[in-house]
Amino acid sequence: MLESGVAPMSTESVTGLTQRLYHEARLLDAERFEDWLEFMCNDVTYRMELKRRRFRADRSPPAAVGVGVVFNENLARLKLRIDRLRSGFVWAEDPPNFVRRVVSNVEVERADAENEAIVHSVIVIHRNRIDGLTRVLTAGRSDRWRMHADGWKLAAREIALDHAVLPDSNINVFF
Amino acid sequence: MDVSGLVDTATGRQSRAIYSSEELYRQELERIFGRCWLFLVHTSQIPEAGDYFRTFMGEDDVIVIRQKGGTIKAFLNSCTHRGNRICRSDRGNAKAFTCNYHGWSFAPDGSLSAVPLEKEAYFGELDRSRLGLVPVAHVAEYKGLVFGCFDADPPSLEDYLGDAKFFLDVWLDAMPGGTSLVGETQKMVLASNWKLPVENVCGDGYHLGWAHAGAMRAVQSLDLAGLSVGNSSTDLDGGLSVAGLNGHMALTSLDGVSGYAFYPKPKPMLDYLEFNRPQVIERLGKVRGEQLWGSQINITIFPNLQFLPGLNWFRVYHPKGPGQIEQWTWAMVENDMPAEIQAAILDNQCLTFGLAGLFDNDDGDNLAACTEQSRGWRTAQMDVFTNMALNRSGPREGFPGDIAAGLVSEHNQRYFYRRWQEHMQADNWAGVPTYNINSVVAEETINA
Repeated sequence: MLESGVAPMSTESVTGLTQRLYHEARLLDAERFEDWLEFMCNDVTYRMELKRRRFRADRSPPAAVGVGVVFNENLARLKLRIDRLRSGFVWAEDPPNFVRRVVSNVEVERADAENEAIVHSVIVIHRNRIDGLTRVLTAGRSDRWRMHADGWKLAAREIALDHAVLPDSNINVFF
Repeated sequence: MDVSGLVDTATGRQSRAIYSSEELYRQELERIFGRCWLFLVHTSQIPEAGDYFRTFMGEDDVIVIRQKGGTIKAFLNSCTHRGNRICRSDRGNAKAFTCNYHGWSFAPDGSLSAVPLEKEAYFGELDRSRLGLVPVAHVAEYKGLVFGCFDADPPSLEDYLGDAKFFLDVWLDAMPGGTSLVGETQKMVLASNWKLPVENVCGDGYHLGWAHAGAMRAVQSLDLAGLSVGNSSTDLDGGLSVAGLNGHMALTSLDGVSGYAFYPKPKPMLDYLEFNRPQVIERLGKVRGEQLWGSQINITIFPNLQFLPGLNWFRVYHPKGPGQIEQWTWAMVENDMPAEIQAAILDNQCLTFGLAGLFDNDDGDNLAACTEQSRGWRTAQMDVFTNMALNRSGPREGFPGDIAAGLVSEHNQRYFYRRWQEHMQADNWAGVPTYNINSVVAEETINA
């Protein structure tokens, strides 16, 4: 059972949140960014930290100032990225790349707040790019979703990218 | 291989073969990456004894290690027994580096400190003193930047950098506290020849308003020498393309603030500049203190180091064959900056030129396609051109270098390829000319 040992979420919540992740993936595959933003809480945080490769016994202290990020977005910054993608000047996306997200390993946990849930998942983003070559990005995600009058909305997403060296020339995709 | 016909500086022509030929690439590893001073690490990245940082010199894997007593040494990351890589971590702190294969162990000073079964299997006949890690021939520091050189007899690092120090100091020595690189290394594989991103950043203001139009539209908050979305205008009085400095270059605006043009909220940075400018003028003089510190400046140290005060990214390109590189980026800060400005810089650097950088993500495909379009049977025989603003350069009072007006020019790129050709033609350093044109401290010096 779940690590927390507390009572599991209702089947209805698990199904609803799982469906929301699949729906989200389909919206992003279709570049329906504005529809995707409808599922964001106003105070959403969307983060991906940089990866590091260290010996298990490493003795060095954490990086001063911070490790740095790939994404450190709030709602306004997500909109900024979408503005760029919508500008008509992002040549790397024209013709459009063939992008397909596979979402799996969905695990739903209770959160401290009554109206929230923690959702873990794995996402694989398969991109067949303009050069004809395919790149695959894999990441784990830990989300906090919040129930609103019109359903579950994303309050926070922490994305752990599984690549120390990005195997592509851009990340013009959302996870 | 004779490269005299592959680059013509006078007309701004390069053969596309220089981006695809395997033979030329091997020659570059020997004559450029095997000969030039290459950036290894910033001292801020290995502050304590035992701190190490793994990097590359050309395709050679290198570990840079802070020694007891504070000096810095660099070694090939290869066991002297069977050649295995001894350090697999990006960075960290260690008392010893032990090879996975047979357990040979090396101390941070490179000495071979332990060999399993030394008495039993080697019969005590192994001379460990001759089997330490192989050091990089020369390691030297310039104001926090640590460089290594494989060549036995190179010019000093100071001489190698030459008058480029005039521009380096605008970042490295403007404030008394010095600078740091912050954050983890942002690593990306690009299917590009290594020269193309260097060429792009060293002088190509031309691409900015077109290739990055989407990002400029999204985040630009200040004017930058009249550069505009869609390349509809440019102001040639607002910037300089500076070259003729031993193959190093600067591309700079002159307003003292536009480095922060691509911060959505630049006010805290502008306040910092305003508050500290008198001190910087005192340290660097009026020209640099008023016109350069705070401006958008692209600084290139030949062959593969580039950093941009303002946008505050710092980058090296490691070649991985003629058609591939690993691009490594860090954010850079002045140590005197308040913590919240440092944090904002790291965040904005990641936003604009990080792995998902709004600007950076525009360049990769262009560079990759330029590389690919030099590989075909027919395209490899063709030329490409950097012939904008030919013969329109000269001296400019207060600045070193041969200078063309404006950020939009291909003046710097021509000097970059000239330097490439000079190195590729020369058998050794004695055959490589030294030039710091229009030196501000002395008359033009050319010691060919």
